[in-house]
Amino acid sequence: MSSKAQLSWVPFFTLFRRECMRFQKVAAQTLLTPLINSSLYLLIFGVSLGQHISLVSGVSYLAFLIPGLVMMSCLNNAFQNSSSSVGGAKFAGELEDFKVTPLSEQQIIWALSFGGLARGLIVGFITYLVGQAFYFLTHGAWLGVEHPLILLFFLIVGGLAFAQLGLMVAFWAKTFDQLSVVGGFILLPLLYLGGVFFSIESLHPFWRNLAQFNPLLYLINGVRYGILGISDVPLGFAAVVSLLALLLMYVLALRLLRVSSFSRW
Amino acid sequence: MSADQSPLEIKGLRKSYGSFEAVKGVSFDVRPGEIFGLLGPNGAGKTSIISVVVTLERPSAGQALVFGQDVQVNPRYTKSVIGYVPQEIINHGFFNVEEILSFYSGYFGKRKNQDRMEWILQRLQLWEHRKKKVKQLSGGMKRRLLIAKALVHEPKLLLLDEPTAGVDIELRCSLWDFVVELKKMGVTILLTTHYLEEAEKLCDRVAIIHQGELRCVGETHGLIHELTQRQVVVVLKSELKPIRHPLLVAQREHELEFRLPASMAVGELLLELGLDMAVVQDLRISEGSLEDAFQCIVGEKS
Repeated sequence: MSSKAQLSWVPFFTLFRRECMRFQKVAAQTLLTPLINSSLYLLIFGVSLGQHISLVSGVSYLAFLIPGLVMMSCLNNAFQNSSSSVGGAKFAGELEDFKVTPLSEQQIIWALSFGGLARGLIVGFITYLVGQAFYFLTHGAWLGVEHPLILLFFLIVGGLAFAQLGLMVAFWAKTFDQLSVVGGFILLPLLYLGGVFFSIESLHPFWRNLAQFNPLLYLINGVRYGILGISDVPLGFAAVVSLLALLLMYVLALRLLRVSSFSRW
Repeated sequence: MSADQSPLEIKGLRKSYGSFEAVKGVSFDVRPGEIFGLLGPNGAGKTSIISVVVTLERPSAGQALVFGQDVQVNPRYTKSVIGYVPQEIINHGFFNVEEILSFYSGYFGKRKNQDRMEWILQRLQLWEHRKKKVKQLSGGMKRRLLIAKALVHEPKLLLLDEPTAGVDIELRCSLWDFVVELKKMGVTILLTTHYLEEAEKLCDRVAIIHQGELRCVGETHGLIHELTQRQVVVVLKSELKPIRHPLLVAQREHELEFRLPASMAVGELLLELGLDMAVVQDLRISEGSLEDAFQCIVGEKS
């Protein structure tokens, strides 16, 4: 490998490795807690309440819920990973290391994004496995994956977009409070109202129209189509909205990286 | 990069934070292979200058050139040849010393850097602590880790911002020994410190800045000679009756103490005194110190 090529790939993979090691070192917090959360959602909503809910599409409520929870886990963890990594690095003064070494802006953005995506995919997969267990116990059969490549596409695009949203917020934030405001007051409502727990077909037309403006609706329905083969929104349109969301997040994260201070909080 | 290319040139550098101008048009250069001391009281602008060089801050005006490359125009090159030791301790919460150095090597494009890492850890007495996290290290070890990080990529220019702040005297001495060793290996070093006695011993040249302005720059001993007065004590065999001379500081039983400006030779003084050489038993001449020079510069306008 030439020295020039080494300079571009080694720093990227090093930073990516650091991100993965970071969440593995606190696995109880980053991987186990989401596992418990997903189990509780599936038990309470999917198994207990789900018996009394019938859907227009004909699939069981538990089957409907699993893809939504997989995507919610993936997006939430991708966001949490990159935002807490940069926020923590700012707090410790470690972010200055990124600035004083020859890491490029692109390497920082993409290594941190793929680190967030890695955690999002692992937690999403764990959620899927837990969902499978509940599904097998209640239905006596396994829940298949109808379109694996489509599933992977929406998970990767969504995970990267949310990891970059996390970067953007963390580069912008000057305190941990500001960091948690975005997660708690903006992201969580959008996730819950993005069709994780219900089909927008069941909503009043006013709310159904309003929900169309929530980009998470398209990401979540993309994953639902990948697993179940059903979606509340046209798949092609969902793919375009998801890619546009990723592009927007990338541009904003890059902008914030350029203008923000790397100094310690 | 030619052998005589200046490792660092600061040209008309200005840095403002809002309406406060921390650096006011500072210019100096650092020569290849030297230890250069950037001295000044707290808030003088030393860290602001270093922050511009490592691109943590953008200059408001002027330039910082590293081996002829503008740090704003070609930052990836300039950062690849700089080792930077910040003033404040950095806490890498999740990782141990070895992992931190491994990451740092990777950021500089070095995938397999075990030999270099081991040499640094051994040399800085951190080898046995390599599996410890930063919070498990003592203050001195944390400082040494900062230096270790700055050296993993074999930098050509090392910037040390108060590397011995809060460090005990034994460790300070060993760190300065290491700095001299690095100089012998061809590394150019710019350091800031409040220990002026140590700076006087270590630095080939110094710049003194105060309130954002460069007050003087030059060879350390040349500056001391220029800015301070020599103490000359004439020891006499027998007691002398009281004499009057504008440079006389004190007259004791067998001693006459004078303060001589750099422009005056000791011989001139003796001629002026008209002393019979037979009564002079000894002459004790001591130079001023860097601290005296520093006080002379910093004290004059503050």
